[in-house]
Amino acid sequence: MDYYLQQLVIGLSVGMIYALMAIGFTLIFGVLNVVNFAHGEVYTVGAFAGLIIITSFAPPLVAVLLLVLAVGALTGVGLERLAFRPFRRFTDEASVKSRAMREATLMSSLALSIVAREGIELIFGSQFQTVPLKLLLSEPIKLGPVTIVNGDIIIFVTSAIMLLGLQYVLKHTQVGLSIRAVSNNALGARYVGIDTNRTIVWTFAVGSAMGAVAGILVGLYYGAIFPNMGFAPGVKAFVAMVMGGLSSIPGAVICALIIGVAESMSTIFFPSVWQELVAYAFLIATLIFFPRGIFGGARERV
Amino acid sequence: MINRRTTLLLAAAFAAGVSSPTLAQTTYKIGYQLPLTGNTAQYGQDFKNAAEIALDKFSKAGKPFKVEIVFEDSRSDAKEGVSIARKFVDDKAIVGVLGDFTSGVSMAAAQVYKEAGMPQLSQTASHPDYAKISQWQFRNITTQAQEGPLNAEWMYSKGIRKVAVIAEQTDWGQTVVSNFADKFKALGGQVVFSEFFNRGLADFRPIITKIARDRPDAIYTGFFYEDGAQFLKQMKQLGLALPVHSTSAAYNAQLIALAGADAEALNLTATFLPSNPAPQVQEFVAAWKAKTGQAEPGQFPAQAFDAVNIMLSALERAHPNVTRASLRDQLAATKNFPGVTGDTTFDANREPAKKLVRAQVKGGAFIAVEK
Repeated sequence: MDYYLQQLVIGLSVGMIYALMAIGFTLIFGVLNVVNFAHGEVYTVGAFAGLIIITSFAPPLVAVLLLVLAVGALTGVGLERLAFRPFRRFTDEASVKSRAMREATLMSSLALSIVAREGIELIFGSQFQTVPLKLLLSEPIKLGPVTIVNGDIIIFVTSAIMLLGLQYVLKHTQVGLSIRAVSNNALGARYVGIDTNRTIVWTFAVGSAMGAVAGILVGLYYGAIFPNMGFAPGVKAFVAMVMGGLSSIPGAVICALIIGVAESMSTIFFPSVWQELVAYAFLIATLIFFPRGIFGGARERV
Repeated sequence: MINRRTTLLLAAAFAAGVSSPTLAQTTYKIGYQLPLTGNTAQYGQDFKNAAEIALDKFSKAGKPFKVEIVFEDSRSDAKEGVSIARKFVDDKAIVGVLGDFTSGVSMAAAQVYKEAGMPQLSQTASHPDYAKISQWQFRNITTQAQEGPLNAEWMYSKGIRKVAVIAEQTDWGQTVVSNFADKFKALGGQVVFSEFFNRGLADFRPIITKIARDRPDAIYTGFFYEDGAQFLKQMKQLGLALPVHSTSAAYNAQLIALAGADAEALNLTATFLPSNPAPQVQEFVAAWKAKTGQAEPGQFPAQAFDAVNIMLSALERAHPNVTRASLRDQLAATKNFPGVTGDTTFDANREPAKKLVRAQVKGGAFIAVEK
């Protein structure tokens, strides 16, 4: 029994890591309706920026997180400027409604992500960076029969703050209202006088700041910071987002937890090499049986 | 004024006089295929540094010919490896090839070298089938056929009877498990748990929890240093205190840097220890530190360094009649080559026989141990 409980707890902690990444990912998707393939690299940039800050100033963790938040926001603004803005330069109705224009950013964000990843690799090399061991968020905490680490608590609290904070911003503030308006109908939002460009930049800043914080937290959690670190959680966050109905942030978080627990539980019954298949199996099942996602709204997608 | 001009002219004439025989000198080209970008780039970069140290020393030794090494990036991708192999084969100036890093890519490229008749010497391909491909394949690494049984005997002699085995899901990982398990069972031990994982797995905790449930006496592992560091850290996190044994693949100073105190008491077999007082080892360690600014080299760069030197010494013996065939014959004739990973002699199957040492992490360093 303890064995299953321990696997469940590990699954929840892994799921929380996916959730942390899925929040920013889903926020950006929600407003533009296109996948931002560079989110994984924002995560990596956050981890590397955090590591540089730690090794050069050694400030307390909260200060590191705030600085990484700022780096992430700037990265997000830059990313929007380079990969997304150029495809919105035509404002006539046909272009705004054009799917091709919107989906071209899929490619430009993918291109930018490759440039960023290879750039980081050229500078730092592809190996794991050495992280000061005493800063790792891996102090074991015994809770009866199961063991968790202090990083689990920090990641849980951070995810909760992000999720609740975002819900508050989206539902109760002017910025949130305009984000929801642009997300719902970009052209309509423009007609009623919402500055869509500014709203999109804000969304990128907030979403990427969250992605960057996720990067440094998970980097310190596992002690593994390397150029390709954003890929695997990026895939999981993407699946969680699709399962959750594409634009539902709470839905994505719940699905991220489901994926984490399912992955961990799958190792009870199958060799762990099959673990990678779990997320893809969920993706396929979702596309076949719940084309709008488990928590998807009434809007038809895909 | 005139004086200065004359001096300059004389100097130029002198320089030309000195350099012209150098230009006339024969230059042999060696191809080196290795991952310089991608997930395994750190290994390839290490090989390149080691190769440059070896070549630099060779060039300064005033040999009657020059050698140039052409590096090509295979990204540890079998398809890339094959197209590089074709490129090397088409270049008539290339007489021999070093690399690749992984057994998979080396074996894919080996098919091309087999057809074209090009000697190939890999510093790390340890899959049992690699050297069996044709008479053109050589390697400078001990295989699991040698390491596995040695580790099995070592663990058995310590009184360990029930072992959990985990290894990465690759050709190499399979040989780690099978060679060890066969010998351990033959000795009378029991393998109570055996599983593979994907290289680069972020979270080993589900597997570790599973291992703990089967209550083994010790764990035998087939991983490289990064996976190794993650595994050891997460094992300590979950409070599982079991002896861990591993292969030479985990032997890297970075393992200790990444896992810190959690790496203590890890046991492994290795062919190279930077603390070895032999002069060629100390010379290589010093050159490595000067070139890369890193701490001590691991076993893989040491094997690459030896592989390049074995190739260069075969070239020297084949000179002046260097062809791909004559180079192969000279490689095959390598006997007691004094390298940093021990003396190398190729047997009839082009396998190197090397002496393995038992090492343990003690006080943040790999120390040779008796038992």
